[in-house]
Amino acid sequence: MLWYKSWLETRSRFMISLLGSVALCSFYVYHWDKEAMPYTKPEYYYYGLHGGHSLLCVLWVLTVTLLTMGGLLRERAAGTAPFTLALPVSRMRLMATRVSVGVLQAMALVIFPWSAMFLIGGLTGKTHSMYQAFFHIVLLAGGGIVFFGVAFLISSLVEGEYTAPIVSFGILLVVGVVLGNGSLRGYSPWDFIAGADYFDRTTGLLIGPIPWMHIVVSILLGALFVAISAKAIQTRDF
Amino acid sequence: MTNAPVIETNGLGKSYGKTNAVRDLDLTVGPDRITAFLGLNGAGKSTTIRMLLGMVKPSGGSGAVLGKSIGDPAAGLDVRRQVAYVSEDKRLYAYMTVEQMIRFTSSFYLDWRADVVKTLLKQYDLPPGQKIRSLSKGMRTKVALLLAFARRPELLILDEPSEGLDPVGIEDLLQALVAQCAEGTTVFFSSHQIAEVERVADQVCILHHGRLVLDASVDDIRQSYRQIDIVFPSLPAELQVQFQLAGVENIRTRGHQMNVFASRNADAVVERARDLHASSIEVTPVGLRDIFLQKVKEN
Repeated sequence: MLWYKSWLETRSRFMISLLGSVALCSFYVYHWDKEAMPYTKPEYYYYGLHGGHSLLCVLWVLTVTLLTMGGLLRERAAGTAPFTLALPVSRMRLMATRVSVGVLQAMALVIFPWSAMFLIGGLTGKTHSMYQAFFHIVLLAGGGIVFFGVAFLISSLVEGEYTAPIVSFGILLVVGVVLGNGSLRGYSPWDFIAGADYFDRTTGLLIGPIPWMHIVVSILLGALFVAISAKAIQTRDF
Repeated sequence: MTNAPVIETNGLGKSYGKTNAVRDLDLTVGPDRITAFLGLNGAGKSTTIRMLLGMVKPSGGSGAVLGKSIGDPAAGLDVRRQVAYVSEDKRLYAYMTVEQMIRFTSSFYLDWRADVVKTLLKQYDLPPGQKIRSLSKGMRTKVALLLAFARRPELLILDEPSEGLDPVGIEDLLQALVAQCAEGTTVFFSSHQIAEVERVADQVCILHHGRLVLDASVDDIRQSYRQIDIVFPSLPAELQVQFQLAGVENIRTRGHQMNVFASRNADAVVERARDLHASSIEVTPVGLRDIFLQKVKEN
């Protein structure tokens, strides 16, 4: 039933995020394709889909950060932490459920908008390759786990319904600015999920093999942040 | 049935920086009785309860609930299976309906009693389909109490349970506490409503500034605590020393009158007064309210 609680807790935020992302990304791709037809080259459409992906990256990070805000600290602010902590479940299990539901929702927020963009592209006459779609999805879903981990950590350290998301967004902005330029750019998680390092401007496609190692490192980093959050919550007084 | 304490703490303490919320607390709560935990706001009652339930880590000392150490998280899980708790705020998940809240909570306990839920929903006039966020504070309190009473726990811990309830609700609550105890549940509840405590409690513990200043049964209080008002023809200052006997908690003098507050040994005080040629001696039983005020002022 902890799943049920987690779902009810995030249901509205998730549905709004999902519908909003699907609508905005679909509109972007539809609009782009409509403008482009019938005289443009295929790469023009690929640019469109990649542009849709870039939009999705921003939306995804924002919505996942908002969805991740919750847990025992937020419950403390809302006054429900004593009830939750009096249940015969460990804090670890409470967190594990939250992480699982959060990851599933985060994945849905990649897959559904991408499926919609893929479908809209196909309906308007230009089909993107499955591999390209998969490449984009893997970059966002795998590389995005770092953002999920950071948001989760912040929600476990910073109390307050609004403070935690504000701090999270602030950190994401700083990361974007600091790692966005010069020699540090290769370490920017923003560039990674957007596929900037693999994007070929002449063809409008992602090139090269899928960077599995980089994705694994991102997932491990995200897991590390979640583990630190678990430690922080375990030792905290409520 | 054993007489082992249901709650036992030894030197339990909690400090937040330089503030000591609970100090050196030695508390024993016996089984199958109603124990009231009295204290002013900020006395440390809620902190103590949260330490007992593993929500707050003690800064010092030790404690056990139902024989299991409060410092052991695994034992804490077992304890929470056997303890029903109603928190001070009575906040529940605002996004759930009353029915969802009941279904969610029931899934964690094997001792859940669906028939009791049905009865209490009717008795408390709770709307099952309504969201918790749209309920009044009194209604929310009733839902929280329903979730606790729907079980058959070994120990029921309630933190300021009557807060937010109207007089009828308070009456129902007090009766429910007595009924729970009659069914074999130990009840431990915090309050600063002395009249409620006096009506239902078997044992009273008073906490003040994080310290336990009284732990006595209500029967003992009724039998032993006395206020002795003595009038002397003249009252020299040194006479007060003559009354510092065992059990004398406080002596006040005004003019020719001396007021002695004794937790026991009232007869010895009376005898001493007679020996010292008191012109008038009046002994009156002391209510819990007076004892509470006395303890709070004294400390």
